[in-house]
Amino acid sequence: MGTVNTPALQADSPRSVANKSDRQRLLRAIRMALSIQSPAVRRNTQTFNRNRYRATGLLPDYEALKDQARQIKERSIANLPQLIAQLGKTVRERGGHVLLAAGADEACGYVRNVCVRHGARLVVKGKSITTEEIRLNHVLEAAGMEVAESDLAEFILQVADEQPSHIIAPAIHYSRERITALFKRKFQTDLALDTGEELTKFAREILRNKFLHADVGITGANLVAADTGTLMLVESEGNIRMTSLLPPVHIAVAGVEKIIGTRQEMAPFLELLAASGTGQPLTSYTSFLSPPLDDPPFALPGKGRKPREFHLVLIDNGRMRMRDDSVFRETLYCIRCSACLNSCANFQTVGGHAFGGETYSGGIGGAWEAGTGRLENARFSELCTGCSRCVNQCPVRIDIPWLNENLRNRLNSASETFLTSGILTTMTGAPEVDQPAPASKLFFGNYHQFAEWGTRFAPLANAIANWGPARSAMERWLGLDRRRSLPAFPGQALVRAAENEPLTRTEQPTARAVLFADVFTNYGLAHRGVAVLRLLRKMGVDVVVSESVPEGRAALSQGLLATAALYAQRAASLLDHYLDEGRDVIVLEPSSLAMFRRDALHLLENQAQFERLRSWTFEPLEYITRLIEKSGRKPQEFFDIDRSTVGTRLFYHSHCQQKTIGCAAPTEKLLRDIGFDVVSSSVECCGMAGSFGYKQDFYELSMAVGEDLFQQVRKAEEDGGPRALLASGTSCSEQLHAGMNREVLHPVELLAAIVRSSGE
Amino acid sequence: MSGLIDAFEANARRAVATVERIASSPAAVRAAVARVVKDSRVIVLGPGEFLSSELMDPLRELPGLVPQPSDEMLSTADAGISSAFAGIASSGSVCIAMGPPLAAAVSLLMPLHVVLVCANRIVKRPRDLFDPACLGGEALKRNVVLITGPSATADMGPLVRGVHGPQRLQIFVLE
Repeated sequence: MGTVNTPALQADSPRSVANKSDRQRLLRAIRMALSIQSPAVRRNTQTFNRNRYRATGLLPDYEALKDQARQIKERSIANLPQLIAQLGKTVRERGGHVLLAAGADEACGYVRNVCVRHGARLVVKGKSITTEEIRLNHVLEAAGMEVAESDLAEFILQVADEQPSHIIAPAIHYSRERITALFKRKFQTDLALDTGEELTKFAREILRNKFLHADVGITGANLVAADTGTLMLVESEGNIRMTSLLPPVHIAVAGVEKIIGTRQEMAPFLELLAASGTGQPLTSYTSFLSPPLDDPPFALPGKGRKPREFHLVLIDNGRMRMRDDSVFRETLYCIRCSACLNSCANFQTVGGHAFGGETYSGGIGGAWEAGTGRLENARFSELCTGCSRCVNQCPVRIDIPWLNENLRNRLNSASETFLTSGILTTMTGAPEVDQPAPASKLFFGNYHQFAEWGTRFAPLANAIANWGPARSAMERWLGLDRRRSLPAFPGQALVRAAENEPLTRTEQPTARAVLFADVFTNYGLAHRGVAVLRLLRKMGVDVVVSESVPEGRAALSQGLLATAALYAQRAASLLDHYLDEGRDVIVLEPSSLAMFRRDALHLLENQAQFERLRSWTFEPLEYITRLIEKSGRKPQEFFDIDRSTVGTRLFYHSHCQQKTIGCAAPTEKLLRDIGFDVVSSSVECCGMAGSFGYKQDFYELSMAVGEDLFQQVRKAEEDGGPRALLASGTSCSEQLHAGMNREVLHPVELLAAIVRSSGE
Repeated sequence: MSGLIDAFEANARRAVATVERIASSPAAVRAAVARVVKDSRVIVLGPGEFLSSELMDPLRELPGLVPQPSDEMLSTADAGISSAFAGIASSGSVCIAMGPPLAAAVSLLMPLHVVLVCANRIVKRPRDLFDPACLGGEALKRNVVLITGPSATADMGPLVRGVHGPQRLQIFVLE
């Protein structure tokens, strides 16, 4: 990013790109984040991410806790109107006050009036993202009050005048060095502020004084129990405890979705929230308070001791509308833990000032921004590639990619239609409801149609695809970045190539299967499909190749939901036919397999059809592992490692969606069982993520994400030299090839070379 | 039982608390507390709800202890002493029940927080406190805070202990 330092291209400030309702601002925000914030964001989110895997691994009943939490949230949101009424009654009976605010103005006005009534001059605040959403500070400051943010991250943001870049660590984009520079500049101090301790002490002293003298304390709440009026408050610094304990007036501001039925129901969240968020068994302080507190408020000499007063401000601000939306209702289950941010490769690379709006960020952020504001504010959700790594990390099992695909769909519908879109609509025959989508989305969503023609005229098409003027045109009209080499169309599509493969007839096949000719393999890396055929046939499997049809993955990732549903339905019907014949379905491309195992849940009308598909579709090495297990023999009896033409040292990168559906581990295990020395990548995603990395808008980001993977390869080769590169995904292979400039094999290609014939 | 205490001790250390097991006798408790607060000039003793007065009373004679501190003194005191409602083995946390005067303040305002927890009040997991049968179900009725290590932040770059709350958390398990 060397050019960014030139004065003409001076980086934007975070505030100037907070609103990303237009595409240009999103692109500027990505450039800003890559040039300034990326190292700190990467280090901090990846630390959270590692710690979360460790902490959730220590919960013996992690999956059951997630189920419980999900059920509680489903029940609470279903009963929300009753719970709001019950909570109001509970708090009033305890002597507190409650407001249900329809929007930001009403909420802020109420808080301001309470403060004014108490003659408040100083208001101290604990961390509350909800008060960021309603822009409370501006209203209080306009009324002449001093507002002191007491969470150190919020304190930094207040000094810097920036929006949060993370749901639980709002200043995650700041390195220690940048905080030092900021404080020195803003506070004009000569104090040494060169360590975390010095900076913390400096802020602590300022804020301790504020706590002691504050007239009003404002906090958020992680959860609120309707039966007892209990607030659950999670923190590590102690500022929320100070804020709720010392001033005589406590105002808690919470979105209505934070309400659950009972205090007892807080139990599963207690353990899940800390583990999923910071990756700790518990954070330093988790308070359960049913205000107003009995303890007398703090009073320094000269200040009269006032009685305690408590106000609970519940915010609707679009949430009840989200509740009525069959798709976006799920957003309200979110407990703001940040697992979806930290497990996201794109977020790890740019953080929430690029992958986020004015308040909310990350995978879940788009749904929150759209739900509490305008749909256009969610345009940054483009940065969700649908890699699905967040899906298993969400403690309430929200299908975040699905939310973002729906946002994309609604944004597509709201977009202007250009000439190219019109032409592409005609060419692709896209369903009418998907037609207003931009040309780029129609192209990537219907890639199979172009690939089919490309493969038919492969030599010519490949030449054109790499011809300068053609690349310029594709970049201009389709957004396809010219720096990317395009996957070559094969001389022969998999379906045709399979016709020339010898059929080994076995009297009693070990299994019967069909290889689904996904479009990425069929019109791309067809030889990998051929390798699967040879491999399985040598293992005695009666395997055929299906017709090649799109399964809807590409369309889904572009938010073309009607197209995706149409394609998914067609593919499912095709495979039904094979399943009826008793064939297991092998799917080579992990993103296609994930469609059958996961995403089709949303797209197929018949749930029984989905369940059947999910149960009988397999990743090739997963399937081979089952065959070996069934045989009762050892992997070495099937595979002869000495025949490997690439040696025994491997670096294996599994596909993001493959990891999510649990199909990465079998590959790694099988390769190791055969005797290979395997180093596996630990990145969440390679950065290519299907079409994402091909897009001109996202090329730099994609390569920056890929750098983590490339570095892992280099590190793995420090001892003992090169390793053969293996990847299971089509686009992962392209990315790894682009970064390392070396051949990348699919594990099936390696296995096909070393498999023993069944007679051997 | 001793497995729970071992786990509590290990996990509290992981959370950067200092933990020591001591005998549940007035002399042992007094000696242990006196040792860790010896450099503290102003000490505040919280309510001894969950300890016998036999164990608590000798602490009232610790040098530097202020019997009825003003709020001004609280804000500048050096050490606070609590008796914990419960300990939690899997997280190494102590649970402080609030309500009586000073209970919240001594666990928050001073740089050093000393906690006395009876071994038989250590539960396995945080969520156990939400079981109405656990320790009389008090954790479901009272205002409580689960404290896991000293106050901390990573907002200033590296992890720093001692932010708005205590910098040191010293736990004594009374066996």
